[in-house]
Amino acid sequence: MQKYPKIVEKNGRRYFFRFSLHQRLQHIVLFTCVITLSLTGFPLKYFDQPWAAPIYKFFGGIHVAPTIHRTFGTILLCLFVYHTIYWVYLFYSRRILRLKKEGCLTFGNAVKEFLSQEMIPCKKDFYDLIDMFKYLLYITNRPPRYDRISWKEKFDYYAPYWGIPILGPAGFILWWRDEFSHILPGFAFNILYVMHTDEALLAALFLFFVHWYNVHYSPEKFPLGTVFITGYLTEADMIHEHYAEYERTMREEGLEDQIKPQHH
Amino acid sequence: MLPNQLKKLMGKLYAIALIVFAVWYGYFIYPIIFSHAEHHGLDVVTAKAGASVEEKMLQKVMSEQKSTATTDLGYTVVKEQYVKGHFHHVGMTMEKDETSVCARCHGSVPHSKAKPIRAFLNMHAFFIGCETCHIKAKPDQAPWSFRWYDKITGKILTSNPKGLVETEKEMHGNYGAKIGPGTLASDGSFNFLNGERERAFVIDYLKNKDALNSTDQSKMKKVIHRLVDEKPLLCDNCHTSSQKPYIPFDELGYPQRRIQQITSTEVVGMLQKYRDFYFPRFVMPGQTRADQPAPNAEQQADASKAR
Amino acid sequence: MGKSFFKTRVILFLTALLLCSMAGLSNAEDELNCVLCHKHRGLSRIDENGNLRLFYINEHMFEEGPHFRVKCIDCHQDIAKIPHDPAKKVDCTTECHLTEPSGQKNFSHKSVAEQLNKSVHGKFDTEGKEKKNVQDFPGCKDCHEEPLYRPLSFFKGKAGGISQRGISRCKTCHRTGKFAESFYKHVTSRLQKTRQPVEMVQVCDRCHSDKDLQQRHNLDDVVNTYKETFHYKAIKFGSDETPDCLDCHVVKGESVHFIEGRNSPTAANNNKNVATTCRTSECHDKASENLAGYRVHVTYDKDKYPFLHYMMMFFTGLMAAVMYFFLVLIILELLRRLFPNFSFTKSPDDGHH
Repeated sequence: MQKYPKIVEKNGRRYFFRFSLHQRLQHIVLFTCVITLSLTGFPLKYFDQPWAAPIYKFFGGIHVAPTIHRTFGTILLCLFVYHTIYWVYLFYSRRILRLKKEGCLTFGNAVKEFLSQEMIPCKKDFYDLIDMFKYLLYITNRPPRYDRISWKEKFDYYAPYWGIPILGPAGFILWWRDEFSHILPGFAFNILYVMHTDEALLAALFLFFVHWYNVHYSPEKFPLGTVFITGYLTEADMIHEHYAEYERTMREEGLEDQIKPQHH
Repeated sequence: MLPNQLKKLMGKLYAIALIVFAVWYGYFIYPIIFSHAEHHGLDVVTAKAGASVEEKMLQKVMSEQKSTATTDLGYTVVKEQYVKGHFHHVGMTMEKDETSVCARCHGSVPHSKAKPIRAFLNMHAFFIGCETCHIKAKPDQAPWSFRWYDKITGKILTSNPKGLVETEKEMHGNYGAKIGPGTLASDGSFNFLNGERERAFVIDYLKNKDALNSTDQSKMKKVIHRLVDEKPLLCDNCHTSSQKPYIPFDELGYPQRRIQQITSTEVVGMLQKYRDFYFPRFVMPGQTRADQPAPNAEQQADASKAR
Repeated sequence: MGKSFFKTRVILFLTALLLCSMAGLSNAEDELNCVLCHKHRGLSRIDENGNLRLFYINEHMFEEGPHFRVKCIDCHQDIAKIPHDPAKKVDCTTECHLTEPSGQKNFSHKSVAEQLNKSVHGKFDTEGKEKKNVQDFPGCKDCHEEPLYRPLSFFKGKAGGISQRGISRCKTCHRTGKFAESFYKHVTSRLQKTRQPVEMVQVCDRCHSDKDLQQRHNLDDVVNTYKETFHYKAIKFGSDETPDCLDCHVVKGESVHFIEGRNSPTAANNNKNVATTCRTSECHDKASENLAGYRVHVTYDKDKYPFLHYMMMFFTGLMAAVMYFFLVLIILELLRRLFPNFSFTKSPDDGHH
């Protein structure tokens, strides 16, 4: 696997590594699917709104748009499976194999290793949350010092991990309703329908404002946060969002004397 | 230093704008999140129990307003107005007169008193402005000139309405325009009897009406109706072959064939056959029943039962 | 297409008229010249109940429908003089002066009325007594505007309109153009839905969405619940493949006027028959009988559909909690930026090294 330098210096500025090309590509597939699915799905949910018909017509109307919706839904489901395999593979190759090599592969150690992964919620997230409220409510002037993945980012990450398993299979079953009716009772389709549309609504409302606020709208980033393209974060953003990681990386790279203070 | 401060200020202004947006977003998503109830008939807004007949009627009219959508009749793709209870097709939408001062209170289907002929009067009101029949020039005034005006914009039409001249597409009154009387100024410009000024006045009055007491309201109504004649024009003022029609059809672009129909063969023939039909002297506004000349008592009684 | 098509139609019609009158046949629908007045768009009034009554007849569209050979007076039989009194409501079951070719009898819509009377929409119960709130039950005109022909052409694929290649086969013998054309239109129009599904839903909507009527007859809000299904949404966006009201509520092969209540054992939506209705060959033919368990007219009503109700509550709660938590957070964060240096306590480790 390609090795990315943790800090890149360009034109006298430091950039900090966040996402590999492989991860960025997965994200691009993810958001392309989500946006297309929203645009071909919500006109149906809100069919009586004035914007519904034009958008649906743009995607080819009732004879084409459902096919687009199903195609992108399938791609997204595949991505979900792929990503899960990718995660398991990473976990196995980096952690389990190492434990094996060291000869201390026990169930307890494996669980420990699992929980120590950067994406898994941990105690620090809880303390960060408290720190954040203390800071936001003007109780203290010390902003929370997030590590590599803040609790917000973990939330963003698990949102699709909860959403896709609800949305995707529901959509898939509704697509093949006739075939699935041999296994499922009819009322299941009512339930799946509600699951599909309501969870989609939650995802869309969340992504449009909360996620995009975190990565695009917030005053430092507006109009466009670029980390999803470049994979690297500027020093200012790094200090602002991941101070704990910033300090650690600077120390690891031998730049301890150049560590900047955390601004608010 | 200054650019830095400016940057900070911009950042703060942006933050404030974003706060406003976030609050709006919260407001915007509220009905979306909680819409299930209304979408699925949990909290249906039913007509208030014990609503009066008038209230129910208003609600009904209001709800039907929305449903007057165009319908798509498929094969011929006819977009038409849905008129409740109308079996035969309309095949079109009918423009409302947006500009008429009179229609603001009297509506676009204004005639209801003269039972035997009110539908005919309304038919005429569809393409003839109220002022044409209800305001006559005083003896000391020059006779009115007439022009077509657009029902939507109120502007004078520079050419004659299309459906008037083209035989094949004859629109029978649905010209999107109306005939209105007015005066010619010495410089040749044309002014409708009820123009911009009068319209503004009426709109202003309707806006402030509730603040006025009934005496003042009557005064204002007097002013608005000051030109209106007690006795309107009669059918045979225009539908006549013996004298010059009151409305100068040829000047208004009516084709000769149509003028012929209006003034002689078709219409006048019918009117002569059924005299009561077109001499509605017994329904003169402002007259009491006693002094109405009744050309045919039986027919009149019949007529008041009908329509 | 519209203009020239229309023109040719008018010309055809006029020619046909000319031919007919030359042949001594009185085929003119308007001998009494009713259209002299009724051709005017604005012929209207507001009636005593506050409804707009429009008396306008669009001649050209009248000619496009199946009634084009019927004289005005055949239906409006009470009109004896001109100008006339308000005409009575037309009774569609009266016999008109058209001869029905298969039986040589005068034509009437009686058989349709019979079907309607047997159906759930009929005004009389099984014992012949008037049903309660009888004024709510529909007559012909409550569902029907004047029908329009929608002829089909099957040459080189299905298309709208009269196929000149097809009709030429008729016209070889039936030379007076009007018969061939009208027969062609009569038959091919009936090979498809004469009204688009969207219109069909609108028809049912006129009564079934009336909240007062729902209360009077203890009916569910069937149209609005149906509108939440994919069936309607597809229709709304122009598909004619998904079912409208009639497709599921009329037994295949029965008259569309014979819609039965759910409790009738022969009804298309009787619990025993739903599966058959869903699994007709045009629709869910690969589905199992389980599909019948799908509820089309579903609500979130706590008593009728408790599971869906609590599911809706769960999702609404989840959505509200997530969205408003993060919105508050974002607003707090933005507010914090307005006064970055203010705080009640200063941390010794405040980041300023």
